[in-house]
Amino acid sequence: MNISAATNQTIQLNLNTGVNEVKLRWMREGEALAFTLPAVIPLLLFWLGPLVYIFYLSFTDWDFMSPEKEFVGWGNYTYLLGNPDFYQALRVTLLFGIGSVIPIMIGGLLLALLLNSKLRGSSIYRALIFSPWITPTVAVSIVWSWIFQPDVGYANYLLKLVGITGIGWLQDSQWALVAVLIVTLWKSIGWAMIFYLVALRNLPSDLLEAASIDGAGAWSKFRHITIPLISPTTFFLAVILTIQSLQAYDQINVMTQGGPAGSTRTLLYMYYQAAFEAFDVGQASAVAVLLILLCVVLSAGSFWLGRKMVHY
Amino acid sequence: MSSSVQGQPTSMTGGSRGKGMLSARQQLDSRPRKRKQLSPATMTTNMIRYAVLTVIALVMAFPFYWMIMSGLKTNDEIFRMPPTLLPEHMLWNNYVDAWHAAPFARYMLNSMFVGAAIALLQVINSAMMAYALTHMQFRLKGLFTGIVLLGYMIPSTAVYLPSYLVLSKLHLLDSYSGLILSNCVSVFSIFLIRQAFLQISHELVEAGQLDGASHFRILWTMLVPLARPTFAVMILITFIEQYNNYFWTMLITKSPELQLVSAGLRSFFVEGGAYGLKWPQIMAASAFTIAPLLVLFLFTQKTIMQSVNMSAGVSK
Repeated sequence: MNISAATNQTIQLNLNTGVNEVKLRWMREGEALAFTLPAVIPLLLFWLGPLVYIFYLSFTDWDFMSPEKEFVGWGNYTYLLGNPDFYQALRVTLLFGIGSVIPIMIGGLLLALLLNSKLRGSSIYRALIFSPWITPTVAVSIVWSWIFQPDVGYANYLLKLVGITGIGWLQDSQWALVAVLIVTLWKSIGWAMIFYLVALRNLPSDLLEAASIDGAGAWSKFRHITIPLISPTTFFLAVILTIQSLQAYDQINVMTQGGPAGSTRTLLYMYYQAAFEAFDVGQASAVAVLLILLCVVLSAGSFWLGRKMVHY
Repeated sequence: MSSSVQGQPTSMTGGSRGKGMLSARQQLDSRPRKRKQLSPATMTTNMIRYAVLTVIALVMAFPFYWMIMSGLKTNDEIFRMPPTLLPEHMLWNNYVDAWHAAPFARYMLNSMFVGAAIALLQVINSAMMAYALTHMQFRLKGLFTGIVLLGYMIPSTAVYLPSYLVLSKLHLLDSYSGLILSNCVSVFSIFLIRQAFLQISHELVEAGQLDGASHFRILWTMLVPLARPTFAVMILITFIEQYNNYFWTMLITKSPELQLVSAGLRSFFVEGGAYGLKWPQIMAASAFTIAPLLVLFLFTQKTIMQSVNMSAGVSK
């Protein structure tokens, strides 16, 4: 009797908790939703929604104004792939990517190695080298375009002292990209340096000492211990800097506006010009979609490469 | 000076012995009373290091120096060859002229207001989102984590055109609300806070629940205070990013009274004849645009450089 009463009670309890659990579950779901919506709604509105929308727009012909968006199928893409301007922009994008990512990483590592040992006053050097990173790109690009001024700029003044003359910098399609890259390097090198400084400080010193005792020279320690151990940082920087290079806009807009003769027009800049200067929404969207695909391919590729090469 | 023994470098040859970043002050305090005799080889290496570093630091700082000095020159002097490293007469008036030539005070206040508002909103929504993703159970968790992850891969600049169309549909173009709303979530901030919340044991949250505290209360009274350093970093980075923001803000705000400082400076640079004619004023304007950030950097150096360390953790 006792037992059956107890069982009865348990069943009763179970029924109650069953109802409560359903109620509780929904309350929990609702609460979680309330916690996530303040972030999710803007993300849907200004990021995920637009991401889907731009794929649709890339199959249409529209100028912002006309009431109808005309569906043109693959038209925008076939036009783009037959357009030499597109290939030039692709080339500039790749050149800009390689020309910014590699020097920033190597430069950052070298600076970190220089600053790594306990030098008195190294924090002042560190701050000075890092400071360009936090300054507005627009303002510093204006300053740099004054430095690159062909007739009275400081860059050409210095070059003249060593006998080099006649570089037109921003007005010369041979040199404009180099000038933009110099500004980009100047701005980001200190940022990369900080990453490497942290990585170098985290190296196990006993390992390096053991190698010294075993008679390893500075170079072989660097080559066989330091480089593999900082590879996660190298990998992280490569990915982030590559994505940043694809997004570079401010310095190009201020210094060259993509010119001269398209020599600094990246895919992103081409996208901007097509959308907000030529008002060709379809064309612009097609460029953006290709840019997005490039990002996805690069991210996935680097992820794959990272798993193979990086030593965690 | 009692701490001087602790921080005293016993050998300058052990390259990577540092136990983390020492601030300038700490390094100054730990300056040893009696300096240990360094071997001549180490002395020479250090001399070379100093020389190389000094050259590099001069190159890095030169644009700032050149900007300030060019802003003090006469129009005559600025176009002179060879350029003078120090202006003949310091024309402080250029700075005053430039300040009044365009509504720079307005631009800077706009930037600061928008930056602060966005940083505040991001604290709220990143904290709540990160809390849900780390300490709550719900059905859409996997999906939302995926969305946030994807956002990390695809640059937002690529979707500026459709985002612009969304804002125009909402009639929010050329308004503070549009500017703030469209920037009020950052995937990076969510990641950063998520990283910090993952370090906090779930038992703490459970203990809070047993005491009858709501999730909301647990988040704001327990987790946020524990993750204060991460929030400080997030606020600083967001503010700096928004103050410097140009591309997006230039697209959606056209009226001068709403422009942020970068867009305002850029129009001053290009605008009617200023280009090429008023270089001293342009340099002066660039200088006072950059100044607040350099001052902010001076005071928050350590936090800002820590952020680099934290953002490296975000990738894992």
